[in-house]
Amino acid sequence: MILSDVLKNDVFDADGSRLGRVIDVRFEIVGAAKSAPAKTILRGLVVSPRSGSSFLGYERNEVNAPFLIAWLLNRRHRGAFFVEWSEVSSIDRGTVALRRNFTRYSVLT
Amino acid sequence: MTDETLPKPNYTGRVVDAQLQLLDRQVLDDTGKPVCVVDDIEVAGIELGQRMLRDAPAPTIDALLSGPVFLTRVFGGRPPTSRLFRIPWAKVRNLGTAIELSVGSESLDASWTERWTRDHVIGRIPGARHDPE
Repeated sequence: MILSDVLKNDVFDADGSRLGRVIDVRFEIVGAAKSAPAKTILRGLVVSPRSGSSFLGYERNEVNAPFLIAWLLNRRHRGAFFVEWSEVSSIDRGTVALRRNFTRYSVLT
Repeated sequence: MTDETLPKPNYTGRVVDAQLQLLDRQVLDDTGKPVCVVDDIEVAGIELGQRMLRDAPAPTIDALLSGPVFLTRVFGGRPPTSRLFRIPWAKVRNLGTAIELSVGSESLDASWTERWTRDHVIGRIPGARHDPE
């Protein structure tokens, strides 16, 4: 699978309710020095209920400046969450389905 | 800036967000020469339409993909996967502002158009095969 099969896909829960869109795919480098990405596993998806645009990196930590951009992105992405890959039940063209009772995590790293 | 009531996942390694830190990044070869930009990423271990098992091993990045995506970005769609050039993930040496490879660009399919233009067009211009004096 290539990444554009997942990015911008609509995300649905087990009951078929739409939860948002995949705005990023999060990987984790494991088992190697930080600068040598020998094995990089897919950890999960960042889902935003209101916007398919990027967070511009503001989700990575608690940066809140410049205030106006942080406020605007906060508004556009309110309710965004991270879901672990193990909670994804299937990926099809344009859609991602999650398992029942999946856990929402913070998008902060 | 996000919902701080939600728990944070337990990360043990370096976290890399694809959209933010991989896609559209410049790829440099082992001498620092630009090779291409990352247009897509190939992930091994999942197929489109396949049902995923909860305890299945997590998919891994297999390769960086680069190719002719300009027109599809303007008009929509995407080029066929066969038109994208693969750079195996094992050849990535460092992830930073740019993505550094551990191999030279001459060994990569992604730079064949530059090599072809150099050999068949630029190289035939009188004086083009040596440094200026």
